[in-house]
Amino acid sequence: MDNVLTVRGLKKSYGKQMALAGIDFEVRPGEVFALIGPNGAGKTTTLRIIATLLTPTDGTISFLNHDLHKEPDLVREKISYLPEEAGAYKNMKGLDYLHFMANFYARTPEEEKEFVDRAVEITELGDRLRTKVGTYSKGMTRKILLARALMTRPVLAILDEPTSGLDVLNALEVREIVRRYVKEGTSVLLSSHNMLEIEFLSDRVALIDKGRILDSGTPDELKERHQAKNMEEVFRSSLR
Amino acid sequence: MKRFLNLLKKEIKELVTAQLIISLAFTIILFNFIGQVSRKEVQKAIGVQTISALDMDGSPASQALLKGLESARFKILDQSGKAKEQALEAAKAGDSKLLLVIPAGFGDSLKGLRPSEIETYSFMRTFSLIGARGQIVVGGVISALNNVLSNNFLKDKLPEFDPQSLKNPIKSKDYVVVRDRMAEGSAGTVAGLISQQSLLIPVVLMMIVIYSSQMVISAIAMEKQNKTLETLLTVPIRRTSIITAKMLAAGLVGLLSAGIYMFGFKSFVGGIGEEAARAGAQAGGGGGAAMMRQLGLYFNTSGYIVLGVALFLAILVALAIAMILGVLAEDFRSAQNMIMPLMFMVMIPYFISLFADINTVPLPVKIFILAIPFSHPFLVSQNLYLGNYGLIFGGLAYMLVVFVVLVVFAARVFSSDKILTMKLRFGKKKGATA
Repeated sequence: MDNVLTVRGLKKSYGKQMALAGIDFEVRPGEVFALIGPNGAGKTTTLRIIATLLTPTDGTISFLNHDLHKEPDLVREKISYLPEEAGAYKNMKGLDYLHFMANFYARTPEEEKEFVDRAVEITELGDRLRTKVGTYSKGMTRKILLARALMTRPVLAILDEPTSGLDVLNALEVREIVRRYVKEGTSVLLSSHNMLEIEFLSDRVALIDKGRILDSGTPDELKERHQAKNMEEVFRSSLR
Repeated sequence: MKRFLNLLKKEIKELVTAQLIISLAFTIILFNFIGQVSRKEVQKAIGVQTISALDMDGSPASQALLKGLESARFKILDQSGKAKEQALEAAKAGDSKLLLVIPAGFGDSLKGLRPSEIETYSFMRTFSLIGARGQIVVGGVISALNNVLSNNFLKDKLPEFDPQSLKNPIKSKDYVVVRDRMAEGSAGTVAGLISQQSLLIPVVLMMIVIYSSQMVISAIAMEKQNKTLETLLTVPIRRTSIITAKMLAAGLVGLLSAGIYMFGFKSFVGGIGEEAARAGAQAGGGGGAAMMRQLGLYFNTSGYIVLGVALFLAILVALAIAMILGVLAEDFRSAQNMIMPLMFMVMIPYFISLFADINTVPLPVKIFILAIPFSHPFLVSQNLYLGNYGLIFGGLAYMLVVFVVLVVFAARVFSSDKILTMKLRFGKKKGATA
């Protein structure tokens, strides 16, 4: 089966500062591919380029055999992006926010209802969705944003630090939701600092630093290759 | 279209907040209240005024003076028979605006051609300009009485001459010429009426520009501050649609807000203006409008359309500039400061037009003024009067070109990395997110 996403020789510089020095990877259908690396390694830049927010300096990105740079509108129909520090419109009620976002993707009112119903199920917020987003806790906001990202069953969900700032229970719930949707066919490209999360969620991992991919493979392959007990040791070993 | 309408609806909902509605309602109520109060005060000032009079002379001349005042809509409270101090106390205790004292010998002095004196004691219970109007009117009445008395004297002594010709041997008849039209009147009156009419244009323009630009800048800054912009930019909607929805929503709400403010402002100004105009008409004035019409200095339907187009284009230019400034703003607070350069651009042509004629200023200054798109709505009204259609349509075309250039630039900014990486920083090096 063809890759959902194929990235080749991706480079990005901001003036003289090189953020990505030429990276290659691919995301296969129904898999979770994770980018791990220290702060400033180029993870967010990579995700933002694939989410059509930034333009690459060089390299090619193919999404379902379409050139991402040439057909960004087509790509936006089939992807969803959850930024690390995303927010929702604070003056909107949770349910209104979900309807507003669903309206961009749904072709019919029935489809819009289907998307919103799915999001309501993901959030498990019940009647709280009838209150304004501005009154939500960080965990509740993150859940509604994740629900927004998954409600359309995108071909590729791009999740930047999906459990960032969440407590243990909320983080666990978010990981379970992601895992469930992957089983239903959505591919996921994520970045994280949390090695436990990486081991729990990811099918394959790429270690990135200073804009270059240092190593990649399944968590087991990497552990074996680096003779490490866990992903934290793999991380430390690959940065040396 | 469905996606665009979805976004437009959200933008309008975000702008029309309870705070905005309360603020607009409060403004209307406030302006209306001030207008009502002012109207009552003006009515009082120009209505029948009560004054006290102490006639210590009792001659036909002093009676004529008091009758003259009565015919000039003054209610006279006669204090005859009292001493001056008693009359003063009585007048002060009542609601008289002033006490008029006609001393004994007033009539004899007039007969003997000696200057006759009367005394007035004004009771200043308020320091408002309208409150002092009573005294001004009394001055006018005394001047009219002086005129009548001197005419009577001249008629008596030199019956073969017209007293007016004796007093004013030189008369002037003033005419104003504008292009190929001529009317009787003074240039000062015409200039006054035109500046009164054109005052509304900068006020309307400034109101709308302030409101709409503030809304656009804040809308973008809030998206950045609340971290919703990144998500919005990845949903399947064209970037030009995002720009258009934000500009259209701000334009509509800005127009509505400015309209409501202008309505309130009109009821406030009308409180003073209408009554004063009514009083002017009663006094036999009101020839200004006829003179302006005779000179062709009025807007017909096409004139109003041209002026409307000029204002609309100026608003579009302001919104496009605001959109770009909004991208530069990091958060809501810096967005508040971003509005200042735009405000200066609107105010410069206004202030220059107050003190100088744009057509006669030195060439570099003229080029500078004409380069500011917001100068053109000001110039349109004057040029319409003067028939300078080349300048009018040149100005409209210039504004359209500036708008298109700005929108293309804004769309490019929105379609590029700059929407996320461009920030206006003072004294810091530019950086980027990795």
